[in-house]
Amino acid sequence: MTNFRVPGKGRVDQRRPVTFSFDDKEFTAAKGDTVASALLANGVHLMGRSFKYHRPRGPVAAGSEEPNALIGTRRGKGQFEPNTRATVQEVYKGLAATSQNKFPNLKFDIGEINDKAYMLLSAGFYYKTFMWPRSFWDKVYEPFIRAAAGLGVSPTEEDPDHYASRYLHTDVLVVGAGPAGLAAARSAAEAGLRVTLVDENSEAGGTLLSEPQALIEGAPAWDWLAAELAALTDLGVKIMTRTTAIGYYHQNMVGLCEKLTDYVATPEANIPRERMWRVRAGQVILAQGALEKPLVFDGNDRPGVMLAGSAQTYLNRYGVRVGDRAVVVTSHDSAYHAAFDLVESGTAIRAIVDTRAMPPEDLVSQARIRSILVLTGHTVTGTSGRLRVKSVRVNPVRDGWVGEARELLCDCVLMSGGWTPSLHLFSHTKGSLKWDAEQQTFLPDRMTEACLIAGAGRGLWGIEAALTDGAEMGAVAARELGKPIEAKRLTVEQDRTGTGESNTELPSDLSQGKARAFVDYQNDVTAKDLRLAVREGMRSIEHVKRYTTNGMATDQGKMSNINGLNIASDALGKPQPQVGLTTFRPPYTPTSFGAFAGYHRGDHFEATRKTPIDIWAEENGAAFEPVSQWRRAWYFPRAGETMDAAVQRECKATRESVGMFDASTLGKIEVTGPDAVEFMNRMYTNPWTKLQPGRARYGLLLGDDGFIRDDGVIGRLSQDRFHVTTTTGGAARVLNMMEDYLQTEWPDLKVWLTSTTEQWATIALNGPNARKVIEPFVEGLDISAEAFPHMSVAECTVAGFPARLFRISFTGELGFEINVPARHGLELWETLYAAGRPYDLCTYGTETMHVLRAEKGYIIVGQDTDGTVTPFDAGIGWAVGKAKPDFVGMRALKRPDLVADGRKQLVGLLTEDSTTKLEEGAQIVLDPAQPVPMKMVGHVTSSYHSVAAGRPIAMALIAGGHGRMGETVHIPMPDGVIRATVTSPVFYDPEGARLAI
Amino acid sequence: MTQLPTHFESGQLSATSAARVTVVEPMARFSLRAGQGDVTAISEALDLALPTKIGQRTKAGATEAMCLGPDEWVIIAPDSEAVRLESACTAIYDQAPHSLTAISDREITVRIDGPRAADLLTLGCPRDLDAILPNEGRRTVFDGVTVVLWRDAEQEFRLDVWRSFAPHALSLLVTGCTELALE
Amino acid sequence: MLLIKCPYCDETLPELEFAYAGEAHITRPPTPAEASDEEWRDFLFIRSNVKGAHYERWRHVHGCGRFFNAVRDTVSDRFLVTYPAGGLRPAVDDVTGSSK
Repeated sequence: MTNFRVPGKGRVDQRRPVTFSFDDKEFTAAKGDTVASALLANGVHLMGRSFKYHRPRGPVAAGSEEPNALIGTRRGKGQFEPNTRATVQEVYKGLAATSQNKFPNLKFDIGEINDKAYMLLSAGFYYKTFMWPRSFWDKVYEPFIRAAAGLGVSPTEEDPDHYASRYLHTDVLVVGAGPAGLAAARSAAEAGLRVTLVDENSEAGGTLLSEPQALIEGAPAWDWLAAELAALTDLGVKIMTRTTAIGYYHQNMVGLCEKLTDYVATPEANIPRERMWRVRAGQVILAQGALEKPLVFDGNDRPGVMLAGSAQTYLNRYGVRVGDRAVVVTSHDSAYHAAFDLVESGTAIRAIVDTRAMPPEDLVSQARIRSILVLTGHTVTGTSGRLRVKSVRVNPVRDGWVGEARELLCDCVLMSGGWTPSLHLFSHTKGSLKWDAEQQTFLPDRMTEACLIAGAGRGLWGIEAALTDGAEMGAVAARELGKPIEAKRLTVEQDRTGTGESNTELPSDLSQGKARAFVDYQNDVTAKDLRLAVREGMRSIEHVKRYTTNGMATDQGKMSNINGLNIASDALGKPQPQVGLTTFRPPYTPTSFGAFAGYHRGDHFEATRKTPIDIWAEENGAAFEPVSQWRRAWYFPRAGETMDAAVQRECKATRESVGMFDASTLGKIEVTGPDAVEFMNRMYTNPWTKLQPGRARYGLLLGDDGFIRDDGVIGRLSQDRFHVTTTTGGAARVLNMMEDYLQTEWPDLKVWLTSTTEQWATIALNGPNARKVIEPFVEGLDISAEAFPHMSVAECTVAGFPARLFRISFTGELGFEINVPARHGLELWETLYAAGRPYDLCTYGTETMHVLRAEKGYIIVGQDTDGTVTPFDAGIGWAVGKAKPDFVGMRALKRPDLVADGRKQLVGLLTEDSTTKLEEGAQIVLDPAQPVPMKMVGHVTSSYHSVAAGRPIAMALIAGGHGRMGETVHIPMPDGVIRATVTSPVFYDPEGARLAI
Repeated sequence: MTQLPTHFESGQLSATSAARVTVVEPMARFSLRAGQGDVTAISEALDLALPTKIGQRTKAGATEAMCLGPDEWVIIAPDSEAVRLESACTAIYDQAPHSLTAISDREITVRIDGPRAADLLTLGCPRDLDAILPNEGRRTVFDGVTVVLWRDAEQEFRLDVWRSFAPHALSLLVTGCTELALE
Repeated sequence: MLLIKCPYCDETLPELEFAYAGEAHITRPPTPAEASDEEWRDFLFIRSNVKGAHYERWRHVHGCGRFFNAVRDTVSDRFLVTYPAGGLRPAVDDVTGSSK
């Protein structure tokens, strides 16, 4: 195999060979190579197959704009990434890269048949070809298309890598570390600002890496670059390479994706693969440079056809000649310099084919000095070669007439259609563009952010222009931030500036119908497709884009958008600015999901809140369920016990003796101040004025729309202090709502709210023996039935810990809730557990809690209510104060809709067969014989097997339910209709005798 | 990421060349709420000049206060001081109504120090930490969790985190200690 | 992610510290019992949904905890001004600088 490496040339370390594989074949690279430069050095251009036509493709570019050379990389199990640009992926020892979109192999691919069938697959083929017969879509067309389509293969295994993220605040963020970016960073840093300079490449330098001939202030470009980077580091500039600015968001927030391990043979285990930086910058300077445009001609996608500037980069940066015999086709001066550099390194230039009739005289004469044939006023009308270009067909053009063709033999074609500023990030900000008629390109115009654009990004060509403009923009940014500084000027010799002309597809003497002149390589969109779209009625560029998919591939139209626009505007007969450019969207280059997720995966996906007692539950085999962000003990199964059996055992033990429950997740809010009682009167439906200190009451909270928001027991600790409890999930919401009313409606009230949810661990003991268990531990309080009746609260000591003790019940049994400072919660739990042994104390979880409360008809807000249920609907109108002048929700309860007949009301349901347990959520109908769709009158909200009732019980919301007691309703299920009787929702101890023990 | 357990004993959670994360001994902690007009009287009663600008801190002996909101302070003190502070507040309540609520167990506190302590916080804190000067602090957010951040020196911080959120927040700090040390 | 100036903290801070709290200057009728059904309906449900300067409420929930008011341009998504709860509603012209 020929070696195309040029000894002594490039920035790669040719003395340090690195081996890697491509499609299971081993190759040798130099340290610093990309996969593309290494394969090119080995004479390999064929790197992939295209998306739609499966045409053989090689790299057309040398950077992240590459549309063709997409590869898969694999490091280990789960570490496969498709669609990586071979032009960006750095080679490391052992890298395993594979080509894509080929079967059975890259050189012979069955999908190539698509290329022959291209007439069927032209623009809009989805909408036309597969429309008939209609029934074929699901069974024939779509499965076929799905199998054939797609770019690369998604990994199926879990990604074992980890990903990181950080926030960064900087005064000036400079995107792009080419000459403009370097100079901008220098100005801003010398002004004393915090400066961050990022570049997607493996090293800073940009154009300078490809143009070592330039002399900056008399120093060779690479020497100057090294010194400048050292100076910037000394000034405290944060320089980040392999870091892509993927998106520019509101108010100068820029997302950066930093690659940390994808270039390392054996990365340290704890280093994240990628890190997402969320940067907030005072000023952003975009110094992203410009991208070279391809020329659009038949066969411009054959392996070996590439951008002239990229060939120059492969030569100067990587020391790789892209071929032995090149034909240069261009409409821009810059390609001449690529040709000259290649000639010097031993590549023969068969010809420079210039579309312009009169290129600059000095370039033409420099070519002649090097004995290069220059064909001016020529067009390119085709290429030949199956897996690699073998020849190019060129014709003279005179007065619009295409003359006789001649064939130029070659092994590579270097093309240049001129340069277009990289406007992607600027486009993210919705900044406006203006058309530059002279340069035939869009330039940035009006800014919407504190953003500046420097260098080639705003149409300034050449290193000196970029340095000057960068320094100036850095100074402007510094001035905007209040640190004025003078911009420095640098002189550059052997700079390469130039001009060119812009084209649509090049003229041809062949049938345009057969031409395969590609505009969007990645989505296989040709010039013909674009013209077809216009012919078929697409007028807006947005429609042309979607109909043809031009610019919609993963490269975001980096190469195709301007050529596409030129052709569309020509077809439409309108100037480019009237046609307009489609929007570039983030991310700038494809970004892994891992980088976006960062640390938030697995256990760390979101916070899992656990109580101080959770660890005991875990050690004692509890099953858990999530309740809002909390993990709560669900039930405590014994060995071999089913959930149903465990819950029934827990229910029975609690009703017969005593059960213990971790209620620490209940929300707690301390309401304190001289106006505390007034505030409570206004917030909750209940009256609070007459509640004596030491007493507690069930509190019901509505929204101002009259619907139930939350509930909980509220104890009055003293005249000015209430201990409010909320539901587990409602804690934050209730506090927020209380603060809202307090701060904005009643700021005159002297009362303050403090969340104490996590101050206290809360242990509930329920059952006839509850008092016997805790009594020995209570100091400073008589908890006898007489001295401490149901609905009491007091501060005391329990097991030596300061405590707030409530006598309340959510089970219908004698109940206590002990609150102790959280750090003592576990110890108290263990103490009581041991003390409860003589009474067969049983720990229970949330499921048993739900069953026990349902037996009593106590509602769970959010389960038996759904945000449209009033206290009267729920059958707890007794909790609504009748004589209060106002409370949140009071007025709404009188709204016509809320007092109308037929509202859904909470009732009990008993299945007629006494054995069937209803499904929660099941719909209820009155007449099961009615035609489908049936009129649904409500649904089952809670349903359990009840040991106490000796049968299944349920609660339901049913239209007019309170007036239907004793009626039969029907619950249609897939396997039959269930009959149930409407009852009161209280299934156990309706007199409440058990509470009074 | 390894998730930390729910129970935190005082002591070091992580120490690398970049930073250390240490759970500090619990102290008495109170949330104080009072109207602007009563701040002076309460300051005198507590023998601690309450700061009036959000983020400012004051200290008297071992008792420290930080202003968290226009009518809100967090006060930390040795356990031995707790009763004195509570009595002082009770004594002045009728004259200067306020709310003093014990929250000693609501949060746990970690100290974060070491050469890259500030960088460590950037893993989860979206604020510009340069705007919080040594001997200031703020209530802010860390990895989605509300925290009270105390900056004690350029590279020394304390972070108060609600108990149940602590495993989440501190796991990230521990992960970060390792990650930063490898840079 | 937006930047929001908290009028109580007097700092411009990341949106992550804040929570949106609906349209501003919706007055709860001072004596609800006397409010008509229509007044109460409007208070509960009727909102302006403007394109342009929108008066809205935010809470500095992970900071000082205060609710405050803001005027945000719903087209550019930029905050024009923020001001304390209970503050007077600034005129659109004053915050946009326009005189349309």
